[in-house]
Amino acid sequence: MEATAKSNFTGHDEHVAPKRASVFWRPTSKTGLMSWLTTVDHKRIGFLYGVFALFFFLIGGLEALLIRLQLAVPNNDLLSAQQYNELFTMHGTTMIFLAIMPLSAAFFNFMIPLQIGARDVAFPRLNTFSLWTFLAGAIIINLGWFMKVGAPDAGWFGYAPLTSSTYSPDHSIDMWVMGLQLLGIASIAASLNFIVTIINMRAPGMTMMRLPVFTWMALFTSFLLILSFPAITIALVELMMDRLFGTNFFEVSNGGMPILWQHLFWIFGHPEVYILILPAMGVISEILPTFSRKPLFGYPIVVFSGAIIGFMGFTVWSHHMFTTGMGTVATAAFALATMAIAVPTGVKIFNWIGTLWGGHLQMRTPMMFALGFIWMFMIGGFSGIMHSAAPADAQQQDSYFVVAHFHYVLIGGSLFGLLAAIHYWFPLMFGRIVSEFWGKFSFWIIFTGFNVTFFPMHFLGLNGMPRRTFTYDSNLGWNTPNFIATIGALVLGVGIAIYFITIVYTYFKGQKVGRDPWDARTLEWSIPCPPPEYNFAVIPKVHARDAFWYEKHHKEEIAKENAEQAKEDEAHGGIHMPFASIYPLVASIGMLVAGIGISALDHNKLIVSIIGGVIMVAGIFLWAHEGNEGYHMQADKEKKS
Amino acid sequence: MDGHQTTMETSGPVAKSQLEVFYVTCWVTLVIFLIVGGVLAYATIKFKARNAADEHAEPPEQSHGNPLIEISLIGLSVLSLVIIAIPTIKAIGYTYDVPEEERENAYEVTATGYQWWFKFNYPSEQIDGVGDLVTANELVIPAGRPVRVNLRTLDVIHSFWVPKLAGKVDMIPNRGNHLWMQADEPGYFWGQCAEYCGESHAVMRFRVIALNEEDFAHWVARKKAPARTVEIDDADANDLPKAQFASFKTNEYGFTDKWDADAEISPLDNWKQQQFPAKDENSHLIAKGRKLFQEKTCLACHKVRGHEGLGITGPDLTHIGSRTTIAGGLLENNHDQMARWLMHPEIVKPGNKMYTTGYVPNNITLSSDETNALVAYLESLK
Amino acid sequence: MSSHAGPIDHHHDHTTSTGIPNKKLVMWAFLASDCMFFGCLIATHMIYRLYPPPGAPDPMDIYSIELTSFSTFILLMSSLMMALAVNAIQKNNLKSMRLSLLTTVFFGAIFLGCQVYEFQHFVHEKHLTLTNSLFGSTFYTLTGTHGTHVAIGVFWLILMYVRSFQPAAGIKDRGWFWRGLLHIASVIGVVMFSMFAVIGLTHTLQAGEGFGAFLSHDFGLLIGLAVTTALSFYLARPRGPVAFGEANAIDVESMGLYWHFVDIVWIVIFTAVYLLEYL
Repeated sequence: MEATAKSNFTGHDEHVAPKRASVFWRPTSKTGLMSWLTTVDHKRIGFLYGVFALFFFLIGGLEALLIRLQLAVPNNDLLSAQQYNELFTMHGTTMIFLAIMPLSAAFFNFMIPLQIGARDVAFPRLNTFSLWTFLAGAIIINLGWFMKVGAPDAGWFGYAPLTSSTYSPDHSIDMWVMGLQLLGIASIAASLNFIVTIINMRAPGMTMMRLPVFTWMALFTSFLLILSFPAITIALVELMMDRLFGTNFFEVSNGGMPILWQHLFWIFGHPEVYILILPAMGVISEILPTFSRKPLFGYPIVVFSGAIIGFMGFTVWSHHMFTTGMGTVATAAFALATMAIAVPTGVKIFNWIGTLWGGHLQMRTPMMFALGFIWMFMIGGFSGIMHSAAPADAQQQDSYFVVAHFHYVLIGGSLFGLLAAIHYWFPLMFGRIVSEFWGKFSFWIIFTGFNVTFFPMHFLGLNGMPRRTFTYDSNLGWNTPNFIATIGALVLGVGIAIYFITIVYTYFKGQKVGRDPWDARTLEWSIPCPPPEYNFAVIPKVHARDAFWYEKHHKEEIAKENAEQAKEDEAHGGIHMPFASIYPLVASIGMLVAGIGISALDHNKLIVSIIGGVIMVAGIFLWAHEGNEGYHMQADKEKKS
Repeated sequence: MDGHQTTMETSGPVAKSQLEVFYVTCWVTLVIFLIVGGVLAYATIKFKARNAADEHAEPPEQSHGNPLIEISLIGLSVLSLVIIAIPTIKAIGYTYDVPEEERENAYEVTATGYQWWFKFNYPSEQIDGVGDLVTANELVIPAGRPVRVNLRTLDVIHSFWVPKLAGKVDMIPNRGNHLWMQADEPGYFWGQCAEYCGESHAVMRFRVIALNEEDFAHWVARKKAPARTVEIDDADANDLPKAQFASFKTNEYGFTDKWDADAEISPLDNWKQQQFPAKDENSHLIAKGRKLFQEKTCLACHKVRGHEGLGITGPDLTHIGSRTTIAGGLLENNHDQMARWLMHPEIVKPGNKMYTTGYVPNNITLSSDETNALVAYLESLK
Repeated sequence: MSSHAGPIDHHHDHTTSTGIPNKKLVMWAFLASDCMFFGCLIATHMIYRLYPPPGAPDPMDIYSIELTSFSTFILLMSSLMMALAVNAIQKNNLKSMRLSLLTTVFFGAIFLGCQVYEFQHFVHEKHLTLTNSLFGSTFYTLTGTHGTHVAIGVFWLILMYVRSFQPAAGIKDRGWFWRGLLHIASVIGVVMFSMFAVIGLTHTLQAGEGFGAFLSHDFGLLIGLAVTTALSFYLARPRGPVAFGEANAIDVESMGLYWHFVDIVWIVIFTAVYLLEYL
């Protein structure tokens, strides 16, 4: 952490003390623990999201390895049924909510302001609040591991009435519900921030159709989040009311209908999977042009298909419910809608290939992951098309065929995209470049391990093996593929370990690089690596899509513009920066305490919840009260590098 | 992929129709994969920068797109989906319910899911003074006829899946689902619950046995009869079998593959043999077991119609001896496995209700001798 | 922040790419999200009304449509007051804004009071509770969630009202923060005491007793009301220039958007939950 702190802050600080004699203490230190807890700098927040995400990714991976070890042989006794059920529940919840989503958020945070030519997001303190609330949710969800009740064990989609207090009497499900609610609040707050930032804080000349595709995908993802999360929020509220207060939303004996839970959950759940994949698609759409040395093929249609995927993502949710007896009309409608969504997805793939076509392809590590993405996502997409044919899905649903499908799109798709992003943007974030050899080596081990693990699962599913089963008999023909899958998982684990060790090593000791090591095309590469606190010494004027590419090929014009803008900024007092703040953290701590009070305790629930609530309200109140004047600083003289 | 629960070798029209739709998707996606993958592979190889000089050369032509290519590709994508959509819609209609023209011939049963076993009701087989014929975990149906299965549950969501006959449909509380299936020929089929339903979901299994018309009629008649009583033969008193059971690892779960490895007869023939009483039945031991069935309060949850069992919260045991599997399709129904299930249910099937709501609150334990007798009794209920 | 020369344009913010102020845009986006939130709750209620279990209570036996129509009208009028408040501050008319804000608060409080009364009535006289039927569960959760949104809005309005008394920068006023807290507490006190006093009065009149009985039952409430009202008036005395003016119109406008949203959601709930039953 110190390394980053030292290299980030190259500007001179000229704090203007707040004018009122104030109850409020303004955190002013730029280094040390407090500076991290109170930061409002989108780059630091992005870094923290990334660190937390990678930590939880390792936890989720460990959970997966245990699952695979249990299933390596039939009738295995490594884990009890209860332990296994907790592990598969937590593996799903952790990977989706605590690994992939925050890793995407890490890059949204770090890159969006840089790509649009802004100094920070629209609401920096709200950004901090999202980060710490995310952590609070992550803590509550994982508390069960340290308690007698154990971790949640009803699956990551927690179908009622299994999750009702009748069939899950202890607190593990309460903590699952509460943790998810906090994660939802964090996600919605962050998405509101990104929407306003992208729409309202673009540099002059940065029209929407000149935005980098990554930023476009971030915009669509954010819209998906704010519109889909309320559905699961309500489902969870109704479940919590049933569990805590005895309402009847899913209480069958009083007329409750469990199918309602499924509808509400999947109205969220389906857009959620697009939330998981769109950021990775955005990353790929940046990497392929950079390493092919030509622009993205069909930019407008790639953007438009992202919009269509986002919109149609709301019309297909019941393809997760093909076996619930919806009737022929509903089943047919959802089958057709699901097939239709393959079209814009295919369009993106065609355009990526079009980008490669006629280029000078540079096979660096990010490019390897990007190409791997295209292949793996294709395969995952095809098994998705197979699912869309509802009669075929009647056999595939709840079998290992589904497990194969979603791991191909989530690992081969989302994860590969994010692993690519780490390599691609590493030089920008930390001023060091990851070794080509180790990067590629980790890629091949991961690629191999991943395919060996999940390809056999297609056959397991077609051979009738249901999912979420802690064991299986030895006479069903499932033994060999399961064993192979476990070996694959171990190889995948080794690959991930190599990847992690490589990037940690590079962070501390990797080869340093100057600006723009990849000869890239977008604005984030136009500033020093790592970036100064204020991002841009002078807010650029944008003249074309691939704004930085234009800058590099019109150097004189740009230099003149920047000099003029610099003079104007001086006249206004320099660069305006937001003050750090402790209050978003206070508000999040309040939510953590209240959340624990509501969901994890047997005694003193009310008093702890109230205390948490008071802390939260106090935090928000003081946050509103402290105002947002900020201070001015001067840009460093640009070092020639 | 030729296992007992495979979806790729079908034994009835519903599963067959579903498999055919799957094949259409396979072919279409394979063609797309070969074409798109081929172009991708070609581009990756042909346009790779050959050396360092190549990499640092002037960037290539900065082309931005080609609307004609875009439109054509979109059109082709839509066309491929139409190829999939048409058989899909047809099969959705076909697999939803028994076809119109065969409704009259359809045989009706009701399957109810419980944590973690299946109850089967036969509304068309009424028993005087009692009601429906009720069995559990092994569904016997007539072959060559459509069978309409009403799907119910009173606790959590389960799913009824016997892959060789039909894709699954869920059993959802407060919702009247159904599926239809048909076994073209007599056979013995494996099934499993396919919706996560709690701790022992993985070991909630069942069987479907399809019999020709004659065999099915005989089976119905035998099952409608009350529980079999074995006449006491005094000679048996001197010849009581010892209480000897195979030992099992205390944490071992399922075991229904023994006859696959050892037997030279088909599973269906094995099932047919199971209908007949064992040659070495000991009437004294059976009588002792029947008494224990009452004393150990088994009758509070399990019905043995015609004998003393009255309970309905657990599986009906009137003809348990004739089932090839016990503990919800989990263990082979033989002497050793039955003893294992009775003596250590919590190890065989974690969290099962027999243990948690039967044994534990009532402090029930079984000695080897008691188990020996109970097993003999239950095996006699053919 | 950089200061503007000349009049403030309340309809165009030249520091943003679209001209829409950030705070307004974020509120619109949040309201879109809140729409989905209420949409799911309303859908739950309506689905369960389509499939009532046997023995379900009949809403027509329970509702008092006159009371609910009255409170709906009050809430609608509160939106009018809110719009007036926004309009006032855009013209830098602080006094008018404060009065309109207070009126909005009171109308909102009347709505809440009616709702509290309604809930009490349903529970005690009509025997409809949160848990004893499916209808009770969906009804109270839906209308209760809306009521919570109203309560949050009322609280926020009170905060905004008190905020408008914050002394201008440079004025030595160290006690401002604590005085502000006291001001908030006293206005909340006025709202709560008057709400419960009115409910108490209604109960007394319904029981057939007179005003005298009300005075003796709820004397404490009336004393509390008198004290907090006096305190509120005292704290609202002008003390010199304040740090609140036209530049803060955007904050009032954003709050106004929230308030209007809550009102519109209530119109939808009133229609879907109450009026539709009478079709």
